[in-house]
Amino acid sequence: MSVDLSMPVLVVDDYKTMIRIIRNLLTQLGFKNIEEASDGKMALDKLRSSKFGLVISDWNMEPMTGYELLREVRADEKLKTTPFIMVTAESKTENVIAAKKAGVNNYIVKPFNAATLKGKLVAVLGEF
Amino acid sequence: MSAQEAAAKVRSAIDRLKASDLRSRPLVEVLDLSHEMADAMNAFFGSLDKSVVGEFRYIADFIQQTRNEIADLQPNEIRNNRIPGASVELDAVVKDTETATSIIMTEAEALMAIEPEDLDAYKDRVDGAMMRIIEACAFQDLTGQRVTKVVATLRHIEGRVSQFAETLGVKDAKTEETEDERRRRELMLNGPAIGGPASSQDDIDALFN
Repeated sequence: MSVDLSMPVLVVDDYKTMIRIIRNLLTQLGFKNIEEASDGKMALDKLRSSKFGLVISDWNMEPMTGYELLREVRADEKLKTTPFIMVTAESKTENVIAAKKAGVNNYIVKPFNAATLKGKLVAVLGEF
Repeated sequence: MSAQEAAAKVRSAIDRLKASDLRSRPLVEVLDLSHEMADAMNAFFGSLDKSVVGEFRYIADFIQQTRNEIADLQPNEIRNNRIPGASVELDAVVKDTETATSIIMTEAEALMAIEPEDLDAYKDRVDGAMMRIIEACAFQDLTGQRVTKVVATLRHIEGRVSQFAETLGVKDAKTEETEDERRRRELMLNGPAIGGPASSQDDIDALFN
């Protein structure tokens, strides 16, 4: 089954430039419905008010980090199956392992390129 | 005169007074003994005063030395000029990089959106966009200079503080972890590693495969 490129994707980052980069890459890959949030709290509010097919989140944000957002999503009955990719400069093994234990679907370390992002999207969502 | 010497002299004077028949002693002799005791007491308290004065002088000298060291540290100059100056430079670095990034991305987005039907017009637009991207890259020169100034400020402060600590023999006190430090530790908020990621993308991928 191919990926529905019209599904809403939520990009969460406190740096507008990074959101813009990911938005451009996703647009190039064919995604048409991209929304954004500047921290975990805003993202959680958006996730609870409408359905998203994928979350791409940074880790280091305030007041709610991407790691806290991930744990909130996985603890929420309605949201817990939402695919979640962490895109972050936090590259210590302890971070990756903690995110994996918390239920992240994949992990991209910044800086990254379009091929890496596409590879992780395919790994999480399937071919498109 | 030490305390022991003074006490011995006073005791000796009292013993002699006790041993003698005061009524039969001439008043002059009693007065002599009293003088002897008074002299002994005076010598003792005099020496006591001198040692206290010496202690206070040492403390005063140490305070003055500390004041001199703090003055050498130039805390007011650091607080009023250097730190605010470094802060302004870093704000400018953030703004300059943001502006340059925005220009570069806007030009790149515009190029991707062009429909290349007229090749001459397409080339003109590509050339124009590339020139604006090149111009925007001038930010690196300015931000480099700003960061160099900030690094110089940090080195200045580091040098002063090190010298201060060394002169006074200051050792770091144990401090309690703050709420913010605890949060950053628990949530593993370390920020980007110096010299590239701590784990490569391949290492991370291996944990997911």
